[in-house]
Amino acid sequence: MKIRIAGAATTEFGELWKTSPRELAREAITGALKDAGKKYDEIDALFVGNMLAGMLGNQANLGALFAEELGISVPAFRVEAACASGGLALHNAINSILAGQYKTVLVLGIEKMTDSSSDEVTAGLMAAGSDEERQAGLTFPGIYALMAQAYMDKYKVSEEVLASVSVKNHFHGSLNEKAQFRRLITVEDVMKSGRIADPLKLLDCSPISDGASAVIIEDENQKSSKPVFITASETASDTLSLHDRESFTTLSAVVRASRKAYEKTGIKPEDIDVAEIHDCFSIAEVIATEDLGFSKKGEGARDIQKGKRTIGKGKIITNPSGGLKACGHPVGATGIKQIVEITQQLRGQAGKRQVKDVKIGLTHNVGGSGSAAVIHILQN
Amino acid sequence: MITTPVKLWRRQKNIASLIGIEGKILNWTIIRVPARSFANQAPYPVVIIELKNKEKMVGQLVDWEKEDLRKGKKVIAVLRKSLPMDPESIIAYTLKFKPHEDH
Repeated sequence: MKIRIAGAATTEFGELWKTSPRELAREAITGALKDAGKKYDEIDALFVGNMLAGMLGNQANLGALFAEELGISVPAFRVEAACASGGLALHNAINSILAGQYKTVLVLGIEKMTDSSSDEVTAGLMAAGSDEERQAGLTFPGIYALMAQAYMDKYKVSEEVLASVSVKNHFHGSLNEKAQFRRLITVEDVMKSGRIADPLKLLDCSPISDGASAVIIEDENQKSSKPVFITASETASDTLSLHDRESFTTLSAVVRASRKAYEKTGIKPEDIDVAEIHDCFSIAEVIATEDLGFSKKGEGARDIQKGKRTIGKGKIITNPSGGLKACGHPVGATGIKQIVEITQQLRGQAGKRQVKDVKIGLTHNVGGSGSAAVIHILQN
Repeated sequence: MITTPVKLWRRQKNIASLIGIEGKILNWTIIRVPARSFANQAPYPVVIIELKNKEKMVGQLVDWEKEDLRKGKKVIAVLRKSLPMDPESIIAYTLKFKPHEDH
């Protein structure tokens, strides 16, 4: 499989109170079109990844909404898989090209979260969980806290070691002009931040953010001067509830989707130069680096602490954008922002956060507590 | 959390048979920042428990002391009100767990 990325762009992520969802979408899409050197009338279809617009904004029908905003009456679709909505929108867009239905497709990931209060957003995000989890009063930080507790207990890892994930991602975020947080933090800052759901503290958690990201993809027969290809797009699902799973220290959907992506490309985990990881919580990046085969089971957190995933120090660099923690996490946009970041890394356009000698990149986008996983592999 | 009378009726049909079921704590957390409808209950612990048949359940822990929050602690399922409701409407019940002494 070879799909070409023709254009890629993202808005700044953050508390963008002055900007409406329509303006966010237009900025990201205009950027992607300019990057691709294309006009609106060259787009055959639009796929939109979004989770919360229906619940928080009382706005559904997003395919038609954003097609209208752009003034293009193309086939338009909204795809939802909680925080993996962006990644799954791209997966479906790729399938539509592989099926021969469209040639050039625009994929938009977007979320407007800061119009609502944090307890409304917390409740809205729990729509990604199960009825049993909602009745128990669980929150997403709470569900990942249960995983963190299971992991720390099994592998004898301390809260301080977990905190090093956020320290690394804030360092990377400080190099990214689109990131929500561009300031350095220390392990002590993380340890002193308020408890959200034990053992997770505020600085273990990704923020509530606004933002939009867009990519234009096309079949490989189209001409392009800056070729970056998607060579694998795989997804898997799992139970909605964490407690219905055999293990709380691995996400089976991530393991299954990534194994398929590795098998289909012949790429091994150690061949990956750079990866954008779904670090909704510090523990999530730790488990991801193990599930993807970058670190041995139980070693992921200590490998991050040792600098093995840090720009300028390590080998397989994770979250050069700052990840969800520092770049921000507008949930529907995240999966597409990851693709924008890896595209820029592969083109050597990542500026201060450029990873050296990048040939192969991976994106890891997760919905719910691991009930949806989408893996993409990108290459020059 | 959205609750309607018919949804509660459907859900609560099965709860009675699970009252008194026993299990052991596998994992626990304390929710300090809850969703809006649980604001008056925070902070509260949520536990994943394992039953004798290895099936797992999730729920709030009630009537707890700090030393109850540990792996292997025995608990028993009890019927409790789940959310603050309008006094004129149906009362929502759910299963919660409470620490259970070893016999």
